[in-house]
Amino acid sequence: MAMKTPPLIHPLDKHLRLDRVPTMYCPGCGIGIALGAMFRALDRRFNEGLLDPNRIVWVGGIGCSARATLYVNYDAAHVLHGRAIPFALGVILANPNLQVIVIGGDGDIAGIGGNHLIHAAKRNIDMIVVMITNFVYAMTGGQVAPTTPVGVKTTTTPYGNPEPPINVVKVVTSLNANYVARASVTTPHYIESFFYKALGMKGFRFIEIVSTCPEVYGRHIGLRDPVDMYNELKKRVKYKQKPSIEESDISWDTGIVIGEFLERNNPSYLELLTGVRGK
Amino acid sequence: MVFNLSALEEPYALISREHGKFRVCIIVNRCKECGLCIAVCPTKVLVKSSVINAYGYHPPEPANIEKCIGCRLCEYNCPDFAIFVERVG
Ligand SMILES: Cc1ncc(C[n+]2csc(CCOP(=O)(O)OP(=O)(O)O)c2C)c(N)n1
Ligand code: SF4
Ligand code: SF4
Ligand code: SF4
Repeated sequence: MAMKTPPLIHPLDKHLRLDRVPTMYCPGCGIGIALGAMFRALDRRFNEGLLDPNRIVWVGGIGCSARATLYVNYDAAHVLHGRAIPFALGVILANPNLQVIVIGGDGDIAGIGGNHLIHAAKRNIDMIVVMITNFVYAMTGGQVAPTTPVGVKTTTTPYGNPEPPINVVKVVTSLNANYVARASVTTPHYIESFFYKALGMKGFRFIEIVSTCPEVYGRHIGLRDPVDMYNELKKRVKYKQKPSIEESDISWDTGIVIGEFLERNNPSYLELLTGVRGK
Repeated sequence: MVFNLSALEEPYALISREHGKFRVCIIVNRCKECGLCIAVCPTKVLVKSSVINAYGYHPPEPANIEKCIGCRLCEYNCPDFAIFVERVG
């Protein structure tokens, strides 16, 4: 196929590195839905004149989700597995005028990167962390992840996962974060509105996006078809106006509550460092 | 029929249909045939086409375009930036 300079066709094309599209994502993978919703939120902020596209930096570790940093038409860094948050901290300390967006899978952010997540939230570091939860280590072929539900057979839990999952929303909420929300790829409008809100805040902002991985997780749970997996997730997702932390546990049996779990304005790390706000 | 076989050599080939208010466009060679747009469309505008794109996938076509209400659910739920909706009227 002869490649010329790609014309902008889709309304979100300006956000994409079009020479890398189509992405390597499997058909029906939810990550692209999440990314599209985030782009629309960025557009709204750009149109308001409140955000400059040249001041945005995306950082991702390794994994299908983190790989989104290869597709965004912004300054972006694709770094070591689990180390996106410390890299992002370096970025924001070097230039506090930037808006840093970390994106990664639950393995990247809450597994190998879990300690960084905890301390970034504890210190209320100025960054947005978007964790795509697909319940499995997808890129490496379907090993058990920190969010894998009990009983699910993965390549490393062939008799069913014996361990209860981490509720990452609960962990981050227990710390000093300013914003904690959860959406699902079956509700792209909530991804857009939560990400839009996070873009206007300071300090540590965490958004979990429950996603579909029909190729690997779908195979594990018998929902290999993208539409089936999407519909089964959609059935379970319930939006609540002001959900409590107690109802934030993700359960395939009793449902997945989405919404804004925490919103406040504690002094951010940068505000404390620069003396803009005291203790 | 908007589509013809030369689209296989044309990276930006579009399947596009419109009625008085909305136009639905599919960027043929971005589609991975996941079927999500077809499934989420509340008025069943989209059906799988017989077109085969450069990667071997069948993109959708807005066969029932007269039913389109412009809700953009197809656009918002396409993981591959392959379908979009424009207001024409
Ligand atoms: C230090 C290190 N350990 C292990 C790996 C192998 N590895 C690559 S991606 C990945 C996990 C991917 O899972 P997740 O972060 O949840 O992202 P997903 O692919 O599910 O989006 C692992 C273990 C690695 N690349 N580097
Ligand atoms: S393996 Fe799963 S998460 Fe990775 S691209 Fe495929 S569907 Fe998406
Ligand atoms: S805009 Fe809405 S009604 Fe029209 S094709 Fe897309 S999903 Fe269907
Ligand atoms: S949602 Fe996108 S990729 Fe999937 S079938 Fe529709 S146009 Fe193709």
